[in-house]
Amino acid sequence: MLFQIAWRNIWRNTSRSLVVVSSIIIGIWAGIFILSFSWGLYKNNINESVYKQLSHIQIHNPDFKQENDPKFTIPNSDSILKQLESDNRIASVSSRVIATGMITSTTTASGVTIYGINPVSETNQIGLDQNLIEGVYFGSGKDNEILIGQKLAKKHKLKLKSKVVLTFTNVNSEIVSAAFRVGGIYRSKNISLDEVNVYVKQEHLRELLDLKPSETNEIAILIKDEEQLDSITNYSKTLVPNAKVEDWRQLAPELDLIIESFNLYTYIISGLILLALTFGIVNTMLMSVLERIRELGMLMAIGLNKRKIFFMIMLETIYLTLMGCPIGLLMGWLTVTILGRTGIDISMFSEGLASYGFSSMIYPALDQEKYMIIVTMCLITAILSAIYPAYKALQLNPSEAIRKI
Amino acid sequence: MAKTIIDAHNVTKTYNPEKVPVYAVQDVHVHIEEGEFVALVGPSGSGKSTLLNMMGGLDEPTKGSVIIDGVELTELSENKLIDFRLHNIGFVFQAFNLIPVLTAKENVGFVLQLQHMPKKEREKRVLSLLEEVDLEDKIDSKPGELSGGQQQRIAVARALASKPKIILADEPTANLDSKSAANLLNIMAKLNKEENITFLFSTHDQRVIKKARRVITLVDGKVDSDVQQTPT
Ligand SMILES: Nc1ncnc2c1ncn2[C@@H]1O[C@H](COP(=O)(O)OP(=O)(O)OP(=O)(O)O)[C@@H](O)[C@H]1O
Ligand SMILES: [Mg+2]
Repeated sequence: MLFQIAWRNIWRNTSRSLVVVSSIIIGIWAGIFILSFSWGLYKNNINESVYKQLSHIQIHNPDFKQENDPKFTIPNSDSILKQLESDNRIASVSSRVIATGMITSTTTASGVTIYGINPVSETNQIGLDQNLIEGVYFGSGKDNEILIGQKLAKKHKLKLKSKVVLTFTNVNSEIVSAAFRVGGIYRSKNISLDEVNVYVKQEHLRELLDLKPSETNEIAILIKDEEQLDSITNYSKTLVPNAKVEDWRQLAPELDLIIESFNLYTYIISGLILLALTFGIVNTMLMSVLERIRELGMLMAIGLNKRKIFFMIMLETIYLTLMGCPIGLLMGWLTVTILGRTGIDISMFSEGLASYGFSSMIYPALDQEKYMIIVTMCLITAILSAIYPAYKALQLNPSEAIRKI
Repeated sequence: MAKTIIDAHNVTKTYNPEKVPVYAVQDVHVHIEEGEFVALVGPSGSGKSTLLNMMGGLDEPTKGSVIIDGVELTELSENKLIDFRLHNIGFVFQAFNLIPVLTAKENVGFVLQLQHMPKKEREKRVLSLLEEVDLEDKIDSKPGELSGGQQQRIAVARALASKPKIILADEPTANLDSKSAANLLNIMAKLNKEENITFLFSTHDQRVIKKARRVITLVDGKVDSDVQQTPT
């Protein structure tokens, strides 16, 4: 009976209840949207780093990571590459020869990291062919072609076909200088790296460094399904037993931190929204209790004990909250599902975002765990906001309440 | 001799004892026996509501004791008191007697449900109670769809539902026209006679006072007179 009375009571003031329910719906929907949009942004950033810079897995000679010296190599790279390429869980594999050195132009000199790459396989990974703003991707067919970033080009006042000299130490600790011609100028999503990363053909750099054929400094693997990251990482470890095999989370702990901190962010955002809603709900329910003082007094007089009064008012609040929460969750989920497919184009603002490594399409997404957090917080809200009005109703003294008649 | 159903002994109620004390009820002794039909009269502010509330256990006397059917009310805990009211005392107030979201039938059945009466038995009793107050045709109406007199009759039916020893009514006719008031009083008098239920009601209305068999007059919180009369 109390369930029935409580249910009917909330429809005594239909518009007021509807306002409460819709504010809950909108609040939760907005919360889910904000969270999924932020996650979309983060994911963008992470994908950009993983797909264009890090790859999912990198393999190095353990000493290379320490000393950054190209003499610490992975021998037999060719056969390792072949084996990885033939694995159908793997989307793309590339090897790299890496040296640090100096670039000198007619105007100035600056430090650079020189990547000796395989132009074909890197179209799937570093993807410079898509980022070129001038020139043709290794189009000259000559060995001494170099691709540089727009930022570096500006700094050195370099144009296409300009001549530059790279200076670095080879594996025999001799200083080597070699002339290169700018074959292309690129602009990536990470402008700060554009100033230091230059790309040349792997064979040529290997010769200059005096490395043996099939020796490389880095193998980068892009996988098809993120779920298989751990198993492929372990497989790679068995394939190259003496090397250091790391996945992207180990390569860029700051990305992992972003993911961890997003949980906290979820709690804070949904907590704030629900806190605001709590005030609205409590306020409305207090109003409805105050309007019914005489009625509550009468109920106590005819024999409804305080426990039941408390329960009845609690129920009314919980009904309101529990009507709004599922609808808000459903609407939020639908929005995320639809926009997650179509994406949101933020190119209007992407001018600035590009420099931080964001792309202009955002795909909102939210995983189950986050929904669970929101559901839990909703339930907590329902109960917390129910307690105070019900407690207020308890403090009524029946004789005083009735006297208001 | 009939047994004493209400024994108010030395009952005093003082509001605001610290600041400006209001002596609402002072040193009142009242004995009411089973089956009596008593009107409580007196000018406005004389303490009628205060006394009725204390007799019904809605309010605690500052001093003195109220014993209903042998039970000392001041000794009961709050929840025990609510339970005691549920089983022993029926209330009819001036207004807002009914739960607005429930129909007449549900309102009367509500107290029975609180007493855990089984559904079949409950429905039978509710129907017979509504017949007693001549409202069997309004069982599915909500209070808002009923006249003031009809609402008060349902309140009486509800007060009767739990088969209480006494029914306390604080100005039950104050909001009614004289015809509805007379009708309500006739029903109360009939129940008093036929089912031996004790009624104690406060009123200002001379015509209502005439229907009582005993009239207690309060003035300034004290019993001014207490007389038996033949109802007319
Ligand atoms: N909560 C309260 N605080 C202070 N004084 C009160 C309170 N309730 C009642 N009084 C005072 O107690 C006195 C008795 O009030 P009561 O309501 O019992 O009178 P009444 O006889 O029922 O009057 P009426 O015929 O107008 O209903 C009045 O003087 C009133 O002002
Ligand atoms: Mg009064």
